Amino acid sequence: MGDERFDALLDRVRETYHAPPETPREEMWRVLSQRMREPVPQDDATPVIDLTAARARRGVVKRRMAWASVAAAALVVLGIGIGRLTAPGVVTGPMATTRPADRAPASGQAALRLVANEHLGRSESLLTMVRADARDGSLSPGTARWARDLLLETRLLMDARSGEDREIRALLEDLELVLAQIVGVTEGGTTDGSRARTELDLAVRGLENGEMLSRIQAAIPAGHAGA
Amino acid sequence: LVERAREGDGRAFRTLYDMNVDRIYRLAYRMAGEEDLAMDFTQEAFVRAYQRLDQFRGDAAFSTWLHSITVSVALNGLRKVDRHRKRERPLEDAARSVPRAKSTDPGVRERIEGAVDDLPEIYRAVFLMHDLEGFSHGEIAETLGVAEGTSKARLSRARAKLRESLGDAMQEYV
Repeated sequence: MGDERFDALLDRVRETYHAPPETPREEMWRVLSQRMREPVPQDDATPVIDLTAARARRGVVKRRMAWASVAAAALVVLGIGIGRLTAPGVVTGPMATTRPADRAPASGQAALRLVANEHLGRSESLLTMVRADARDGSLSPGTARWARDLLLETRLLMDARSGEDREIRALLEDLELVLAQIVGVTEGGTTDGSRARTELDLAVRGLENGEMLSRIQAAIPAGHAGA
Repeated sequence: LVERAREGDGRAFRTLYDMNVDRIYRLAYRMAGEEDLAMDFTQEAFVRAYQRLDQFRGDAAFSTWLHSITVSVALNGLRKVDRHRKRERPLEDAARSVPRAKSTDPGVRERIEGAVDDLPEIYRAVFLMHDLEGFSHGEIAETLGVAEGTSKARLSRARAKLRESLGDAMQEYV
């Protein structure tokens, strides 16, 4: 579909998609003015999300989870390192000097797949934490940093794998979006509770709508645990 | 006006309401697609704004703050409606003795609506605000608390997904 055709289509969408009728201004004001006279319910009087209180409530658990994640990540990195050094057929030294063009395409693909699997494993762990964070209503700073790192890795992988393995590529594209969304929760250092909450809601919806976790789990072969 | 409304001046708040209600209602309606829901979201947004006027710091325009509340209210509201409908659906399906005939040729308008409805929420919100309601990327960015670049990227993805899902079938339409 060309741009002109698409613009014409957008015009039609503008006219027809959930086209708002005239605003029932007075009808809404009647209800509104009545509700404004009612006492403010305690729950509604508080901010949409009180970051300080939420963090204090889950402080101990979050610290433990953060340390557990760091320890798990370190273990995985260590495991991968040992695996690479001890795996049969892995040649160190001269192999390292082989030019990329000399390598067989299949082994390049296998290496990329390995890296992608590790990356997806870590992403799965992050997304699980984000979902847990969302129940508390805010992201911990550590989660946001982790998401930023994974977003960068995702983009690098997308570039490295361009044109190959369409399924993984589609998964990485969707993952990139969800990660960008998670990074966006803390982007600009927003302290506005309702905005942060909205952004987190959007991130979790994106995660759930795209069935990210189940797709990632399906894509990772058995044995690749997330960090 | 905000200062006067904060001090309890009802007329000042009514003026704020009059100045913003059309745009807020339009956005709520675009997101909800139903009059009752749109009215609920609009009223809820204004009630919350009224109750939290003391939290409005004036960093952004009042209308931006109000839109931010509206998007939050609408997304949460739609999520609740979705959950409710998902719970009801199995009962309706069980009660239905003869399956409904599936339309093999849905109208073009239905196809377009379906394609927009199927957009992931993060794309749909930006698409509705920018392409249907004329918000600038700066306004969207402020409302959603993201960077302008993020808003642009989301719109681009939304359009790409629409092109993909509507495809050549739209050629006869336009």
